[in-house]
Amino acid sequence: MSKISVKGLRKSFGSNEVLKGLDVEITEGEVVCVIGPSGSGKSTFLRCLNKLDELSAGTVIVDGFNLSDKTVDLNEVRQHIGMVFQHFNLFPHMTVLQNIMLAPVELKKQSTADARATALKLLDRVGLADKASARPAQLSGGQKQRVAIARSLAVNPDIMLFDEATSALDPEMVGEVLQVIRDLAAEGMTMVVVTHEMGFAREVADRVIFMADGVIVEEGTPAELFGNPQQERTQDFLSKVL
Amino acid sequence: MRKLNIFRAGKLAVAVTALLALAGGFVGVSAAAASQPQSAVTGETYVIGTDTTFAPFEYRENGELTGIDMDLIRDIAANQGFTVEIKSLGFDAALQALQSNQVDGVIAGMSITDERKLVFDFSEPYFDSGVQMAVAEDNTEIIGYSDLAGETVVAKRGSEGETFANSIKDEYDFTVKALADSATMYDDVKAGNSVAVFDDYPVLAYGINQNNGLKSVTEKEQGSSYGFAVNKGQNPELLAAFNAGLAELKDSGEYQAILDTYLEQPAPAAASGFFGLLGDSLPALMKGLGLTLLATGLSILIALVLGVLFGFFKVSESRVLRGLASGYVSIFRGTPLLVQAFFFYFGLPQLTGQSIDVLTAGVLTLSLNAGAYMTEIVRGGIQSVDPGQTEAGRSLGLGYVTTMRRVVLPQAVKIMTPSFINQFVMTLKDTSLLAVIGFAELTYQGQQIYASNFRTGETLLIVAALYFIVINLLTMLSNKLDKRFNK
Ligand SMILES: Nc1ncnc2c1ncn2[C@@H]1O[C@H](COP(=O)(O)OP(=O)(O)OP(=O)(O)O)[C@@H](O)[C@H]1O
Ligand SMILES: [Mg+2]
Repeated sequence: MSKISVKGLRKSFGSNEVLKGLDVEITEGEVVCVIGPSGSGKSTFLRCLNKLDELSAGTVIVDGFNLSDKTVDLNEVRQHIGMVFQHFNLFPHMTVLQNIMLAPVELKKQSTADARATALKLLDRVGLADKASARPAQLSGGQKQRVAIARSLAVNPDIMLFDEATSALDPEMVGEVLQVIRDLAAEGMTMVVVTHEMGFAREVADRVIFMADGVIVEEGTPAELFGNPQQERTQDFLSKVL
Repeated sequence: MRKLNIFRAGKLAVAVTALLALAGGFVGVSAAAASQPQSAVTGETYVIGTDTTFAPFEYRENGELTGIDMDLIRDIAANQGFTVEIKSLGFDAALQALQSNQVDGVIAGMSITDERKLVFDFSEPYFDSGVQMAVAEDNTEIIGYSDLAGETVVAKRGSEGETFANSIKDEYDFTVKALADSATMYDDVKAGNSVAVFDDYPVLAYGINQNNGLKSVTEKEQGSSYGFAVNKGQNPELLAAFNAGLAELKDSGEYQAILDTYLEQPAPAAASGFFGLLGDSLPALMKGLGLTLLATGLSILIALVLGVLFGFFKVSESRVLRGLASGYVSIFRGTPLLVQAFFFYFGLPQLTGQSIDVLTAGVLTLSLNAGAYMTEIVRGGIQSVDPGQTEAGRSLGLGYVTTMRRVVLPQAVKIMTPSFINQFVMTLKDTSLLAVIGFAELTYQGQQIYASNFRTGETLLIVAALYFIVINLLTMLSNKLDKRFNK
């Protein structure tokens, strides 16, 4: 069953067309990694999936919601899709626990007590049970990103989007964040992961998409794409990053 | 004098006739009403505008308005059975207030001139004045008009003194500088910025009598007479009552007694020391400080509401709202506060026909002005929060309002607080500008005090010290609160 269905997606900023007609189908439980050079439109593609950016043309259907349909409640849709950012974007004026509890409580999905219990469980899952009352400023980058993932999971999404979740981290912290993503994959979460970590993509992805200049140049299983790239641009890119 | 009396009698007759005609015009008005000609003003309350600083005609003593004009208008009111509410506005402001019907009459040591007769109706003259020249006490060089060649003299803007000085300046080759009040002019001469002052003789005589550091060197010029004025065609019954009352006071000798009180009085005892001045002036200054704080508090509260409202408009998606907010900000940041104050106090009533009291006009001015700056503070605060914060909130499914309230605003407020405190201090200081529309705040009270005691420097030092203390106390308090709540 298709969880995410993208057809003819175009996106322009002014006269600059950044996405030039993307077609992607992602099925339930699939882990798709998106790779490609800087400026190729990877982040923009992700941001169109939860409509942080408006679509210029085409259709995006996520979890059954058509994002072009004006009657669709975006806030409802976004509760089905968690998003993790490169720069964490934790709320600095709240404790770790408050960061995670904010959405469930504000959205009246859970009582405060239940939200707290869930938040503590999530923290335990990302290995930060002892940081519940810390402020974001007191955490390392890797810890911040793990809190951000827990925060996204708190509204119980069906889909997770990761936009270079590890590229702002010191190398020794990359592993701990990737481990959390790996665990999610193992649990069957549908995920779109934009990443520079080719090893990771090769290991966890069911499918890898290579983007350049706003189009999908090539896609396939990790073995196909990394082992036997068909397009010259893919070969070029991989020869530089591998 | 005889001629004057006949003239006055004629005017009285006109007034009585007018009253009878008025009474006759009302169906069912009893004959008793017509037989009591004073009933037109009896029990009425009239708002009378006056100057702030024109001793001995009007000035403040221990915070109370006093002087020849004040005694006269109050005694006439008592004599004729009406009540007056005195508004001490300043000369120019009082005339503007009269034209915009903010006040019913003006008594401000005002000369009766043909020009003024075009816009006002005058009473019988109640005082014969004349212009006199004075120089600094230690000046031995200037003893007549012919010594003024190449020099600068001062005169009060729009006054008889200015007219006279201008009429002879070409003949004697000097320059005339116009200032707004007597105390400032005398200080200007004592400071040597100008060599002589042309002022009305009673004012000058009173000042010299009060040891203001000047001396008169010429004889009084044959001058005009002072009259009480109402707006052209307005309040004829008030004018009639003034004339009637004046005649009665002259007959009873009360009039002469008033003049003697102010013009004949011997020089007062030597000035008290600085602490004497402090003790004498503090009650009035504290009253002014109270009004300063009241106006500041009200204005800041309203400005905060305006600032938050328009600040949100500025960051909203709607072009209309953004345009509205930008228009508001550019109007109030793009014009001087003083012009805004004049507009709200004098201009608006003329446009709307609705008079406005000075506190309302002052608070309106300050809050709209500060609101414009607050709008920019709020906009800046919201926009300085990392956009990633909003994106994180929205991506969690939180709506715009919730994201603002729980995520952006708590961070923005922290960023904005120092600017808020700064704006608060600015607005407090800006209240001093409202002195020009006669709002009796701290600066105004200070002006009142040195206008009658001529101790400008010391008085202003006290005023400045009061501002300094209050502002620094409030800033310290604000910073403490900021630290406690915005950790
Ligand atoms: N808000 C925006 N306004 C205008 N142009 C934008 C905006 N966001 C992105 N762009 C442009 O769109 C293009 C694609 O940007 P995008 O961030 O999607 O690339 P990316 O593949 O994620 O790159 P990177 O690997 O550096 O993150 C770039 O040329 C960028 O300048
Ligand atoms: Mg990117």
